[in-house]
Parts: sequence; C-alpha cells; structure tokens
Amino acid sequence: MNRFLTKDFLAGLMFVGFGGLAYIAAFTDLSRYFGQSKLALGTAVRMGPGYVPQMLAFIMMALGAIIAITALVTSSERIEGGKWKPIVMITLGVVAFGVLLDPGNVPAIVSWFASGLPRWENPVSGLLPALVALVFLSASGGDEFKWRETAIMCAVLTVICFVIFKWGLSMNIAMLTGVW
Amino acid sequence: MDILNNLAIGFGTAVTLQNLLYCLIGCLVGTLIGVLPGIGPVATIAMLLPLTFKLPPEAALIMLAGIYYGAAYGGSTTAILVNLPGEASSVVTALDGYKMAQNGRAGAALSISAIGSFFAGTVGTLLIVLFAKPLTEMAQKFGPSEYCSLMALGLVAAVVLASGSVIKAIAMVFLGLMIGLVGTDVNTGAQRFTFNIPELSDGIDFAPIAMGLFGIAEIIANLEKRSTRTVEQTVITSLWPTREEVRQAWPAVLRGTGIGSILGVLPGGGPTLSAFSAYTLEKKLSKTPQMFGKGAVAGVASPESANNAASQTSFIPMLTLGIPSNAVMALMVGAMIIQGIQPGPEVMTKKPELFWGMIASMWIGNLMLVIINLPLIGIWVKLLTVPYRFLYPSILLFCCIGAYSLQNSTFHVMTVAIFGVIGYIFLKLGCEGAPFLLGLVLGPQMEEYFRRAMLLSRGDATVFVTRPLSAGLLAVTVLLLILMALPALRKKREEAFQEDS
Repeated sequence: MNRFLTKDFLAGLMFVGFGGLAYIAAFTDLSRYFGQSKLALGTAVRMGPGYVPQMLAFIMMALGAIIAITALVTSSERIEGGKWKPIVMITLGVVAFGVLLDPGNVPAIVSWFASGLPRWENPVSGLLPALVALVFLSASGGDEFKWRETAIMCAVLTVICFVIFKWGLSMNIAMLTGVW
Repeated sequence: MDILNNLAIGFGTAVTLQNLLYCLIGCLVGTLIGVLPGIGPVATIAMLLPLTFKLPPEAALIMLAGIYYGAAYGGSTTAILVNLPGEASSVVTALDGYKMAQNGRAGAALSISAIGSFFAGTVGTLLIVLFAKPLTEMAQKFGPSEYCSLMALGLVAAVVLASGSVIKAIAMVFLGLMIGLVGTDVNTGAQRFTFNIPELSDGIDFAPIAMGLFGIAEIIANLEKRSTRTVEQTVITSLWPTREEVRQAWPAVLRGTGIGSILGVLPGGGPTLSAFSAYTLEKKLSKTPQMFGKGAVAGVASPESANNAASQTSFIPMLTLGIPSNAVMALMVGAMIIQGIQPGPEVMTKKPELFWGMIASMWIGNLMLVIINLPLIGIWVKLLTVPYRFLYPSILLFCCIGAYSLQNSTFHVMTVAIFGVIGYIFLKLGCEGAPFLLGLVLGPQMEEYFRRAMLLSRGDATVFVTRPLSAGLLAVTVLLLILMALPALRKKREEAFQEDS
C-alpha cells in the first residue's frame, strides 16, 4: 500500500480526477439536474464552447496519468499525515461567517445542492455574530485556546471592524441585522 | 528627451497628495505583512482588492504595488533582527543578517540592506523606464497567434524557474486554465461548468481563490506545525556601517542588483529566486567563503539588493505585454481588469498617466520605505511579539470581509472556504499554488486569442508555427521544456533551490 500513498501518485490521481470530472460535466446531458445541456464542440474554425474544455480535459488526464505512473515506477515522497483540527475548525469558521453574515443565506447555500426547499431566515445575523463565530471556531483550531482571551479578541476585532469598515469606508454591512 | 517627458508625466501623477497617501499606505501595509510571518503579499493584495474598487485606477495600482515591494523590505528587517524571515525572499538574508546582529552589527546590517534595496529599487525602476517603450512597440505587432504563443511561453517559463516538480506545476497551470473556463462563454453565450449557480455565470473571481490558496491554506499548515516563536530582542546600537563594511558591501550590492534585475524580468523568476541566486554567486566569488553564514556583509547586501531589484523588474512583462510573471503580478492584472483597463501594450499609449505614474510611484515608494524602515524599526519588531494565536483569527476575519465586499455576496466567502480546503490538499500533495493562479488569470484571454487565431487561419493550427514571431516564441517554450527534461540540468536546478535553504 505504501507505494500508493505518495505525494506524486495522489497528485496524479487528483489531476486525472479533475480532468475526468470536467469532461463528464461538459459532455453529459445534465439538464435533468442543473438545466445545463452538453457543450457543443464546434469545428477548429468555429469553435463551440466545448472545444477548449475538451482539449484541456484530455491534457489534464494525460498529464495526471504520467505523474501517477512515474510516481509508481520511481520512488516518490510519502504523504505526511495532518491534524484534523486546524482544517476542520478553520473551514467551519469561514463557512459559519458566510452563513451568519446575511439574514437570507441559509436557503441560498442549501439551494446550490438541493433546490425547492422552504425559505428560512437566520434569526440572528450580521457582522457581529459572524465575527464571533469565526473567531471562536478558528481559535479553537489552534493548540492554545482560552475562552477569556478569545472573548477579548472578539471585542477588540469588533471595535476595529466598526471603525475601519463602518466609519472609515462606510461599507453597507450591518453589525447586527435590524438592530445596528 | 522622450524618457524625461514621460517621467515628468509620471511624477506629475505620483506626486499628488492622494497618490502619495496611497503609496504610503501600500508601503506601510507591505512592511507590516513583510514583518509578520504567515501572511504574504498574495493573500494581502487579494484581501485588499475590494477596497480599491472605489479608488481611481492610478491610486489603486500604486497602493497594490506598494504592498508588493514593501513586503520585500519588511521581510528583511525581521530576518536580520530575530532570524525570522517574514517572506520567502528574505530567507537567505537571515543566514548572515542574524549572525551580524548577534555580533552586535544589527544596525549596520539593517542600513546596508535598506540602502542596498533602495539602490536596487532605483536601478529596477530605471530599467522599467528604458525597456517599456521598445517592448511595447514590439508587442503592438502581435496578432492573436503571437499572443497565444507568448502566454504559453510565459506560463511554461514561470513553471520551469519555480521550484518543485515541473510536470506537476504544468498540470497545475492546466488546472488553473480549466477553472478559468467556468462561466459564460464569451463567443456563444453558453454556460460552462456553472451548474445553474447564478454567481458562477461571471466566472469564479480570482481574489477569493487567491485568499483561499495563499491565505487560509497557509494558516492551516502553520497551525499543524505548531511553532513556538521566541523573540529575542536585539539591541541596535548604531545604524552606521563601518568603512570596512561599506567596502565589502558595495560590489555585492551592484552584483545583486544585476542578478535581480535580470531574473525579475523572467517569468517565474521574482524576488525569491533572485535572492537565492545572488547569495550563491556572492559565496562563489568571495575570497573568504568561510565567512558566509557567520555574518558576511556581502551575504546581506547582495540578496537584499537582488530581491528588491527583482520586485521592480517583474513589473516589466506585466506592464508592457500584459503577461504576469508571478502570482502577485497575476493579481495586479486582475486588478487592472476590474478597473476596466485591459493590460497589454495599449496601457502605455492610452493611459500614459497611469503607466508612468505607477513607475514614478515605485521610486517614491522605495524612498518612503527607507524612511519607514530605519527609524521606525523598533515598532515593527514589537509587532513580532504578538503571538500567532491572535494573529491568524484576525487574518481570517479580514479575508472573509474582503471576500464578502467584492460583490456584497457571501458566495465569495464560501469560495474562500472551498479553496482553503483545496489549497490545503495542494500543499499536502506538493502542488504549488502560483502556477495555478497564473493559469487561472491568463485562461480566459488565452482561450480568446487561441480561438481568434484559429478563426483567422481558417482552422489551420500551423498558424502558430508559420508566423515567424509566434514560431520563435514557441521554439523558446519547447526549448525550455526540453532543457528541463535533461537529467543533468534537472539536477543542477534542484541544487540551486536547495542551496542553503
């Protein structure tokens, strides 16, 4: 198994995967799901929207295959294991920020994946809740997390954001939707 | 006389109160992020891009440029004083700079690096002035097939000169080109890879992608490493170098400037490669190579001049041909497009005040940086004592707000999150983000030129090799690829990147 868990082999697979996905997305009839039909290839003189994507998809799959096979034949560096906490907590933090910033965001995000859900709004939204969620989630992704310290950091960042974005740049962004 | 005339236009634009102010802001922000490890110019410029929408194009580009070359200055300060290079381009400076500081020559190292950088910046700016006109005139003869070949050359050269695996980097370029296709096809109006998401019909914005790849992914990687930083304050006694130090420094500054200016123009060259090469050269030429790593003055002067000269001259291909040579330049191209300016040879003739104003501002900015850096050094070092656990949530927050304010849409915040994860995977798999970003920014234009060239030639693909200019550019591209495939050269290249790192 070890020879498959190398940086280069997996990178090769990733490129083949991206190329393949792009090919499938471009040249299968997805109108049932996304209302997007197949891209027309066209000719070399009058290229359709699918000409260049097809070319790129093939090149990517070929390059990916070369990288993966080379990695198997020659030796390649083993992939290093990671920690789950930083990646999960930081991604969650950024997503939470996006969800909490605007009142109507929950359905918008859900509808990318499944359409036709009933409309539902955040009860609490605005820069303040979004900021608190982001700072707390991301801070807990680190090794030294302290409640009190993080709370103070939230307060300081709120003041900074208010001064820079509301006063300084007069951005149209609510601290707490409907309240402030 | 033409040059003087143009410079007059440039300084006329750059020395207005507003533009001076934005130049200063850019330099300050650049120095700040240069001092702070864990955030680089790419993520910062992407983050601040939305703030420049309301500014006039001159002010916007002057500020963004200031961030770029300011970061090179700031990075060296911390490299010398606390052995923590804020940017990759200052890694080699830390070798001898920190040793000089330990020997009690911190002040001398700082002033040599600042003055060397200023000299190199001045030469770099002058080179832009000299080369701008001929290169622009050449570019005006270009048709779509030449442009397409030129972009291919730019992308390949960027890959060859960057560190890491060449074939992986090329695959990353293609991945970038592919992501660049997302959106409405300009020729037919067809929706490509949009999956019925209305926000995607204009294409994926490059700024949130850059924030994700270079900001978020970097933070995640830093948190995994769990580095504990202990900052020892070095006492700066006198900023004046001794006569002996000056004697050792000035030839190194000259050589560093030369190397930096040349490597900066080449796609993929940029400040980091220049600093490494300059250090290696200096060590080879030195009569006392054993002094390197123990506080050699030349080991500070040369890479510092080189990285600054390179940051200046890497503007040349971007300003004259519209071809970015590194990730920061790719963002600058994006910033120009947002301002409604199509980067390329027309910028100089159609927008002389923007073109020359930006160049003049770079020289003024370099002057400002010497002033910002030397007397205010204490403040910058103080900033280093801020622990990373306070720093990274703030960086994340500003990234998120920046992404949101692009179009007042949280869609971009989600894009940042997604590309943060993708960037983390890239890091784990040893794939570099810079070639991806270059492909992404050049993708739509390249497809456009490719299709136009094929239309004009009635579907005959040989047009790329029958037109002499285009054939020449492609020949260089192929030559570069062949050279890279040669085992002997590949080994040399790997050595060059591993030297002292």
